[in-house]
Amino acid sequence: MTTATIDTLTVDTRLGPVQVRRGGSGAPIVYLHSAAGEGEGLPLLPELARHFDVIAPMFPGFGGSEGIEQIDGMEDAVFHLLDLFERLGLGPCSVMGLSLGGWMAAELATRYPEKITKLILANPAGLYVPGANIKDIFGRTPSQMAGDLFADQNHPVAALMHQMDKLITEGGGASIPFEMIKPQIQSMTATARLGWNPYLHNPKLQSRLWRITAPTLVVRSDKDTLVPAPHCETYAREIPNARLVHMPDTAHMVVLEQPAKLADIVAEFIAEG
Amino acid sequence: MRIFNFHLMPYTGLPPDYEGPSWVTCPNELYDAELGSKLYNRYLDELVYSEELGFDGVCVNEHHQNSYGIMPSPNLMAAILARQTKRVKIAIVGNALPLYNPPTRVAEEFAMIDNISNGRLIAGFVVGGGPEYYSFSINPAYARERFYEAHDIIIKAWTEPGPTEYMGKHYQLRFLNTWPRPTQKPHPEVWIPGVGSLETMDFVAKHRYAYMGIPYFHIDVFERTFNQFREACERQGYTMDPMQAGWLTPIYVAETDEKARQQYEEHFWYFVKRLLPGINISPPGYTTLRSIENIMKGIGSFVSSVKTWDEVEDGNYAIVGSPATVLEKLERNLERLGTGNLLGLFQLGTLPAAETKNSLELFASEVMPKLRARFGGAEPALAGSKEGA
Repeated sequence: MTTATIDTLTVDTRLGPVQVRRGGSGAPIVYLHSAAGEGEGLPLLPELARHFDVIAPMFPGFGGSEGIEQIDGMEDAVFHLLDLFERLGLGPCSVMGLSLGGWMAAELATRYPEKITKLILANPAGLYVPGANIKDIFGRTPSQMAGDLFADQNHPVAALMHQMDKLITEGGGASIPFEMIKPQIQSMTATARLGWNPYLHNPKLQSRLWRITAPTLVVRSDKDTLVPAPHCETYAREIPNARLVHMPDTAHMVVLEQPAKLADIVAEFIAEG
Repeated sequence: MRIFNFHLMPYTGLPPDYEGPSWVTCPNELYDAELGSKLYNRYLDELVYSEELGFDGVCVNEHHQNSYGIMPSPNLMAAILARQTKRVKIAIVGNALPLYNPPTRVAEEFAMIDNISNGRLIAGFVVGGGPEYYSFSINPAYARERFYEAHDIIIKAWTEPGPTEYMGKHYQLRFLNTWPRPTQKPHPEVWIPGVGSLETMDFVAKHRYAYMGIPYFHIDVFERTFNQFREACERQGYTMDPMQAGWLTPIYVAETDEKARQQYEEHFWYFVKRLLPGINISPPGYTTLRSIENIMKGIGSFVSSVKTWDEVEDGNYAIVGSPATVLEKLERNLERLGTGNLLGLFQLGTLPAAETKNSLELFASEVMPKLRARFGGAEPALAGSKEGA
């Protein structure tokens, strides 16, 4: 099978124009990105497009999507998703989210369970689990983050993050081109609006997970040190029809480290009927 | 011109083997309350003494959860100073408005201090340092919005008859009716400190407040910042009054240049290497993209990047030397920057009481009169109001 092309479209929403990446054919699956704002060139998308019509919107404030100044929390995020789904003409479909995107998918699924046929939460944020805090994403150095995001520190993105650290240590980062850090600043600013405090969680979410009706797959990267294992375990326990799957030898950014394997797991889960 | 003694009230007792940050997560087990008791009283004495020495004013500021400055409530310090001084201006530079909920608290406390001091308060408003947003878990993405709303509430409380109301995005106050009201009419002079955020400059220029340049940068960065502020005033259709600008800088005077450096240098490095680490943390959304770009132009010139004393001297990160040297450097830089307010940090890092006192005295007797002779010595009145300026 040849690699599917992923196109970038602009969709006008109530909040303004947002970027949507779309490719492949078959049943639709929506992919909600993490706080890293991954989407452009994301290897997972063509892998998913081998099986599905993959639809990956950039949330307002990430990439080229506008309207973040009108988003003040997860409630606004859910309303935005409802609007976007309608404008894309999407009926009930599979929804997948990584980390921040997993949290967002869970917020949508607790409020509008009928919109989702299959739910896939990969290393999801969104819960507070005593004694298992999600590590800080706002104030640590790129090198420190890379250790949590990648099992393989030689992954090109991990290597780039270590390089950034060197430039920051030497001369306060003055030598880093502004254009290079701009997307990162934008992504973190948008994420802060959703999850600065309470930190990357909604205290009400856990008590609402019982409302989710879609069969749910929780994907846990065994080497993810950003979102500790009890978060995945809690989701899998509290969502009525959920199951936990472990992926060894990968960390938080499984979508970059093991895109083909992850796409196969997702395809198999959705094919289960 | 006006000359102020600005105190940070640093903690001097960090153990020699502590190498962590001074901000947010500096373990509070390292704090010794007995030492703290001595420091607070000594630092207040230094500020009170500045009045006797002829300073125009004293400055205090607000930071939380750090060893850089143990002054989470500058209003408490200002309240003491309001009673223990009779003449000097008391500048609170300032209250971090987004940290007060509701911000009417600031309107109340500032009015109290203005009453007690009989109209000597300078009201400083700040967004708060980046670390504060970690220390208080306040969302930095709303720092500016909250700052502007809080500002509007305080000015409204001071200038409009109550009871009235304020309905904003972040604050909804059904009964805005602050007691007491300030002595100075329509309200105290307002100062806003900044590190180069363009939005802040536009805001200060629009309201005809005064802009205080934050220290620890190369003098070239100050020059660029004040030029940008001057341009912001021009965009509002007027020329900046020098009293609308203040330069904050560490100053140390001793009998000779050699003695000054020899007495001062280790305390300066304690400040740079022990008390500054962590200050530059910039949480997301705290600064707009265009301002980050502006501030980053100067980041390589921040004092933390400085390695040698020669660089300190060349960049004017601190003004240190004999009275003649200090006078010459201050004159040159004040001329260059065009600021009508000089805010001297006369105590810095671990600089002991005796050295601080000697430096203050030498400055007051040998430098201050000559600065006044050159730049104008009377204590000028700057209207704090939109109408008055």
